[in-house]
Amino acid sequence: MSTQQPAARLYATAAVDLVKVYGGGDTAVHALDGVTVGFTRAEFTAIMGPSGSGKSTLMHCLAGLDTATSGQALLGGTDLTRLDDRLLTKARRERIGFVFQSFNLLPQLTAAQNITLPLDLAGRRPDAELLDYLVTALGLADRLGHRPGELSGGQQQRVALARALVSRPEVVFADEPTGNLDSWSGAQVLGLLRDAVRDLGQTVVMVTHDPNAAAYADRVVLLADGRVAGELDRPERGAIVEALQQQAVMR
Amino acid sequence: MSMTVLRTQLAGVARRPARLLLTGLAVLVASFVVFATVLAQQITERTMLANLSGTPEQAAFVVGGDATPTGRDLTRIRALPGVAEAVGRFQTSVQLGAATSSPYLEVTADPGAGPLALTRVVAGRFPQAPHEIAVTPRTVDRLGLPVGAVVSARTGPDAAPIGLTVTGVVEAAYDFGAQAYAREDTVVALSPAGPGGRIEVRLADGAAATEVRQRIQAALDAAPRPADSRVPGVTAGADVRAEEAQRELDEITTIFALVGMFVAIAVAAAALVAASTFRIVFAQRTRQLALLRAVGAGRGGISRALAAEGALTGLAAGAVGVLAALAVGHGVPPVLGWFGVQVSGPGVPWDAALLVVGGAALVTVGAVLAPAYSAARVAPLAALRAAQAAPARTGIGTARLVGGLVPAAGAVLAALLVVSRLPGRDTDDYDRNPLLLGIVASGTLLFLALMLLGPLLVRPLLRVVGWPLRRLGPVGRLAVGGIGGAPRRAAAISTVVALGVTLIAGVLVGSASVQALVDREMALAVPADYEVTAGEQPIAAAVVDEVRARTELAHVTAYRRLGELRVDGDRANTYDANDLDLAALPTLGGLDVASGSLADAGAGRVVLSGHVAEALGKRAGDQLTLTRGDRTVQVRVAAVLPGWVPLFSALVADPADLDRLGAPAGYSGILADAAVAGEDGRTAGQQALRRIGDGAGGLGLAVLADEGDEQQSLLDALLGIALGLVGLTVLIAVVGVGTTTALSVVERAGESGMLRAVGLSRAGLRIMLTTESALYGVLGATLGLLLGVPYAWLAVRALGIGAPVALPVLPLVGVFAALVVCTALAGMLPARRASRVSPVAALGTGD
Repeated sequence: MSTQQPAARLYATAAVDLVKVYGGGDTAVHALDGVTVGFTRAEFTAIMGPSGSGKSTLMHCLAGLDTATSGQALLGGTDLTRLDDRLLTKARRERIGFVFQSFNLLPQLTAAQNITLPLDLAGRRPDAELLDYLVTALGLADRLGHRPGELSGGQQQRVALARALVSRPEVVFADEPTGNLDSWSGAQVLGLLRDAVRDLGQTVVMVTHDPNAAAYADRVVLLADGRVAGELDRPERGAIVEALQQQAVMR
Repeated sequence: MSMTVLRTQLAGVARRPARLLLTGLAVLVASFVVFATVLAQQITERTMLANLSGTPEQAAFVVGGDATPTGRDLTRIRALPGVAEAVGRFQTSVQLGAATSSPYLEVTADPGAGPLALTRVVAGRFPQAPHEIAVTPRTVDRLGLPVGAVVSARTGPDAAPIGLTVTGVVEAAYDFGAQAYAREDTVVALSPAGPGGRIEVRLADGAAATEVRQRIQAALDAAPRPADSRVPGVTAGADVRAEEAQRELDEITTIFALVGMFVAIAVAAAALVAASTFRIVFAQRTRQLALLRAVGAGRGGISRALAAEGALTGLAAGAVGVLAALAVGHGVPPVLGWFGVQVSGPGVPWDAALLVVGGAALVTVGAVLAPAYSAARVAPLAALRAAQAAPARTGIGTARLVGGLVPAAGAVLAALLVVSRLPGRDTDDYDRNPLLLGIVASGTLLFLALMLLGPLLVRPLLRVVGWPLRRLGPVGRLAVGGIGGAPRRAAAISTVVALGVTLIAGVLVGSASVQALVDREMALAVPADYEVTAGEQPIAAAVVDEVRARTELAHVTAYRRLGELRVDGDRANTYDANDLDLAALPTLGGLDVASGSLADAGAGRVVLSGHVAEALGKRAGDQLTLTRGDRTVQVRVAAVLPGWVPLFSALVADPADLDRLGAPAGYSGILADAAVAGEDGRTAGQQALRRIGDGAGGLGLAVLADEGDEQQSLLDALLGIALGLVGLTVLIAVVGVGTTTALSVVERAGESGMLRAVGLSRAGLRIMLTTESALYGVLGATLGLLLGVPYAWLAVRALGIGAPVALPVLPLVGVFAALVVCTALAGMLPARRASRVSPVAALGTGD
C-alpha cells in the first residue's frame, strides 16, 4: 500500500489527508475519511470502489468542483482547497479536463463548437495541429458540423473526449465515461483514453465501477468507506475482480 | 386510474408549492389586474358619490326643473313652516369694464356658510352686503381681483355700470378663472331679466317632508308670475342627487368598459404565457410521465390529471391575485389620506372576487389543455432513455404550417384591402369604421399566424439581432445558442412580448401623429399666447410700439386683414387675406407645406390655403390675380399649406401687396407670446396687454394659450392612460419572460453545471442566463416594432383626419431599450440562483 507522502513534482494531482464530511452532528457522513493518494504524470489511473466508497467525491475535490472539509487537493503545486471560486474556475478552465458519464454536450452547438468551448471561454485559440490530430484520431472529421442530437452516444462521448483534451490540461478526469455506452463504443472510448496517455503524455484519472474499464488503466486505486483500501499496478481484469471480491468479503 | 395519476402529480406540486405559483404567475398577475380594475371602479364610484358637488346632501327639496323660480318664490318658501333654510342658487354673468370685448364674470349665489353652502372661504370674508362678491383663487390672478378690489360691472351692453367689491377668496367646485360668489340679492340685482337657477330647501328638524313639499308647491302655484312662464316644480333632493350621480356614473362606466377591453387583451396574453409555461413544466416531467405510462396509466388519464393540475394552479393563482388586489385596494385610501386626498374604500365585492377566481381557473384550464394533451402522448419508452435532454424540436409540423399560413394570408389580404381603400384628401363621404375593423382583424390574424409560425422565425431573427452579441464573445454566443436551441419556447414567449410592444408602438405612433396634427392646427388657430383684436377702429402703430416695449411680452407681431378679395376670375366667392409675418412667431416655424416653400414668400408672392388652392386648381409656382375694387395685383403662389393658413385666411400676402390692394395703414390685430413661460408669466402678459387695451379703448384680448393648454393636457392625459393600459400586457409579457427563464434554468441545471465545470465563471453564467432572458425581450420588441409601426401607420391613415404619420423615433427606441432592460431584470433572479448552485449539484452526479 502506497501511503507515503506523495511528492508534488512526480504527481500531476494528489490528495493529502483529504476529508469531506456531509452534514453534521449524528447524521454526519464521512465521504472521504483522510485519503492520501497521488496520480503520476502521464499515467492512466482508475479509481474503483463500491457505491458510497467516496470515489466520485474524491474526484470532485481533486477537480476543483467541490470543496473539502480538511486536507489538501493538489494540482501540480497548487492546493485547490485554498482557492476562491474565481481562481478555481480559472484552474478548471485552463488546467483540468472533464469527461462525464452523460456526455454533457450543449445541444445547440455543433460538435466543433462543443470541442472548443473551454478554449472559447478562456478566450484562447485552439492549437490547430492538436485539434486536427484529435479530430482525426477520434474519428470525428466528418462529424464536426453536426449537433449532438445527430450523433450516436459513442460519437458524443468522443466529442466530449476531444473537448477535454484540446486545452492540453494537466489532468483529465473521467467520471464513468462508459456508463452510458454499449460495450463496443465503450471499448473505443477507453482505447482512446489510453492512447491519449501514451501518445500525448496526458494524465488521466477515471472513476469507474466496471472492471473491464479499469483493465485499460496503468494503475487501479481501490476505495472503501472513504479510505484508500488498496492499489493494483498494471492489473489484468481477473486481478481487479479478485481484489474487488476480496474487498467485499472483508466488509 | 386518473385519480392515482392526479395524486402523484399533486404530491409533486405539494412538495414544491412555490413552483405552482411560478407556473401560474402570469395568471396571478392577470387576476390581480382584473380585480384591481374592479376595485378601482368601486373606489371611483364611491368617491364620486361621496364628493358629488352638485346638490348638497342637506337639501331635501329642489325647486326648479323646467321653470326658473323667482326671488319672490324664495321669500315665500322661506316663510313656510317646516322650512329651516332655503337658498336661491341663482346664477348670472356680468361684463367687467367698459369695452365690448371685456371679460365676463360668472356670479353664483351661495349662503357662504351652513349645510347648504358650496363654497369655503380661504381669504377675507364671504359677502355680507349687496354688491359684494367673493372670487375663486384663479379668478384673483386672471382678472386681477384681489381682496379689496372694486370693479365696475355691466349687466348688458347698454346697462349702467355697477361697482362690485371683492371681500374674499373662496374655494368652490369649479374654478375656470372667472367665478364669483355673492348673496342672492346681489345676483338678483345683477340680472335684470331675472336670474337663472333654482332654490334648494332644507327641512327643519322633525318636519314632515310630504307636508312641506305640498306647502311649497301650493306657495309656488299661488305666486303671481308672468303669463308666459310656467310654475316651477318641486323635486326631492335625493332624486336630484341620484340623477346627477347617474350622469357621472354613466361616464365612469364608459371609461371602465374601455379599460376592460385592454384588460381583456392582458388576460389573453396571460393565457398565452400560461400555456407556454405549462409546456415547459410538462417537458421537465417527461421521464416521470413516461414512467406512469410504462406502469399502465392511460393517455386520457394523464391528460385529465394534468388539466386538473392546471385548474388547481388557476384557482390558487386567481385567489392569491384577488387577495393581493384586495390588500392594495384597501391600502390605497389610507395612503392617499396621508397625502390629503380623501377617497372611499372599495369594500369587498364578493361576487366579483369569486368570478375572477373562477375565471382564472377557466383561463388556466384553457391554457393547459394543449400542453397536457401533447405531454400525455409521451412514449412509455422515454422513461428508460438517458437523462440527457433530447434536443428541442426546431421545426413545426405540416398541419401547423398550413394552420399558420392561412391566417397569415388572411392578415395580408385584409391589410391590402385596407390600403386600397385609404381615404384621400376629400373625406366627406368617408366611413372610417370598416377600415379600422379591417385593421383590427388583420392584426388579430397576424398574431394568430405568429403564434403558429413563430418557431420558424426565431432562428432567422436571432441571426440578425444576435449578431452583435455573438461578436461579444463566447458568453454572448452561448446565450444566443441557448435561445436558438429552444425556438418553440422562444417563439411562444416572444410573441407575447411582441403583442405588448405592438400595442405600445401603436399608441406612440398614433399619439405622435395626432400630436403633429394638433400642432399644425394649433399653429393656425393659436399662433401665439395672446391675440389683441381691433374694435371698430384699427389699431394704431403707436399701440403696437407700446406693446413691443413691454418686457412681459415677446414675439409681438401686428397684422392686417383684408376681406372682399376676388381671386383670378372667381366671381362667385370673395376671399380674405392677411399680411402676418410667418417668420416672426416660433409656433409658425412648425408649419408643414403641401407644396412649395415658406422661405420663398416675399413681395409679389403669397402662401395659399390648401382648401382654396384645391377650389381654384392652383399649385405652388402658379400665378394669381388678386382684385379688390378697382385695384389689381399679380402674385405668384410661393407655397400651399395642407389646410388653412394662419388666422384662417385664404392666403397670406406681403404687406406691400396689401398696400397696393388698398389696405388701410392701421392694424387688425396683434399676436404676442408671454416672455416667461408658466402661469405667472402668462398672467403678467395678460395684465400688461389689458392695461394697454384699457388705455387704447375698445381692444379685444383673447388668451389663446389657455385654450391650447387645455387641449394639450387632455392629449397628454389620454396618452398616459393609453400607455398605462397597454402597459398591462407588457407587464404580463415580462412576467412570462421571468417565469420562462426561471423554469429553463431549472431544466438546464446540468448544462449550467457542465459549463461551470469546463471553466465558465459564476459571473459568466449569470451574464449568459440574464442575456438569454433579455434576448426574449429583443426578439419580442423587434417583432412588435416591425408589426406595430406599420399597423399604426395604417390606422392613422384610416382615421381620415388628415394627420401626418409621425414616427416618434426616440420614444420607440426608448420602448425597445426599456423592454430589453425589463426582460433582463426578469431573468436576473433565476440567473443568480443558478450561478450559486455548485457545479457538482448541478451535474447531479452524486456517488
